[in-house]
Amino acid sequence: MENRPPVIDLNEVVVKYRPVVSFKVRKSLGAHTPDWEDVVNEVITQVIEKVQKGEFRGDSSIGTYIYTITSRRIIDHIRQKTKVLRSVPEPVPLPDPCDNAENRERAQIVAQAIQQLKPKFKEVLNLYYYQELTRDEVAERLGISPRRVSERLNYAQRLLRKMIRP
Amino acid sequence: MKKCLFADQIDDYLLNRLEGEPKERFEEHYFNCPSCFRQIEERDTLISTIKSRGAWIFRDKPAAERRAWVPAWRRAVSSFSPRQWATVGVAAAAILIAVFALMPQFRHASPQFFLNENEVVRGESLTLMSPIIDVRAVPTFFEWKPLAEAAEYKISLFNGGLLWSAATQDSRITVPVETQQRMLPGQRFAWQVRAFSARGALIAVSSKVQFQIAPAD
Repeated sequence: MENRPPVIDLNEVVVKYRPVVSFKVRKSLGAHTPDWEDVVNEVITQVIEKVQKGEFRGDSSIGTYIYTITSRRIIDHIRQKTKVLRSVPEPVPLPDPCDNAENRERAQIVAQAIQQLKPKFKEVLNLYYYQELTRDEVAERLGISPRRVSERLNYAQRLLRKMIRP
Repeated sequence: MKKCLFADQIDDYLLNRLEGEPKERFEEHYFNCPSCFRQIEERDTLISTIKSRGAWIFRDKPAAERRAWVPAWRRAVSSFSPRQWATVGVAAAAILIAVFALMPQFRHASPQFFLNENEVVRGESLTLMSPIIDVRAVPTFFEWKPLAEAAEYKISLFNGGLLWSAATQDSRITVPVETQQRMLPGQRFAWQVRAFSARGALIAVSSKVQFQIAPAD
């Protein structure tokens, strides 16, 4: 008996997966790549078309299916860009003022919250996230156990979440 | 709530410590795990902020700057030791006891009045009511606002020199006929009242109010 394609609510899929696809694309291409949003739109369009054509058979989850399309599209994009770069220099990216303003505001709120933390929490955030030491290295530097480092990191993030929550 | 097994890899992923297959497995996971994706977004904001702001974000503010906004009284409070606090408490109690113990002795003491040419007066005010403006006929009485603490009033009527004086316990006094006869139309007068306590202490002095009796037609 032939497998029927699963019923998918495309609106729901787009709403749920656009942020995830955007994150993956930005992470892979870099947030300063000017056309990352075009890549996201192309991925979403491809997903909609493939689902509408019945190409998604439900062999994997819809999440995995979208992840596969996203990864392939990113690789294609990088290949195309590499070809372009060989012939013509890439134009200087124009910053998106809205995106920048929003990010700046968010970063400002987070920065203020970090400054209000106790020194022992700031210290562990500095060593782990800014200096990018491993958990064991941070533990050695501070003379505490790696487990204690994890506890401090988690607690610092819980405090920040509380402070930032609107 | 049970923690997702992949949650421990969030930092490694965001700090680019995951490569190859583990990285792909993690990425595929967060496409299927909304909880992990929420944490990734939140952590990414934190790391991006830290990276973009630099190390200064972790520096403690200089002591002077930090203390500048602390109110002076809080600094004073925080600088007191428990022993100093005890001393301050005892001193304050002693002052309060002294004030309340000594106050009754001074309560009925006479205020100081200096009744000279310039009429320097300190004490409660005594308000004169009638007559306070020029009058058509010779006044038959003088009236002022009573004072609660006053047991006796002394009134003085001047016409160049002292024309008449009397004492009363009321806030009104009738002018004797013989005094009325000495108050002639067209003349200018001044009057003043002083209030005394039951112990005979002067407690208030009015201002000296002038009036004129209208000239006869």
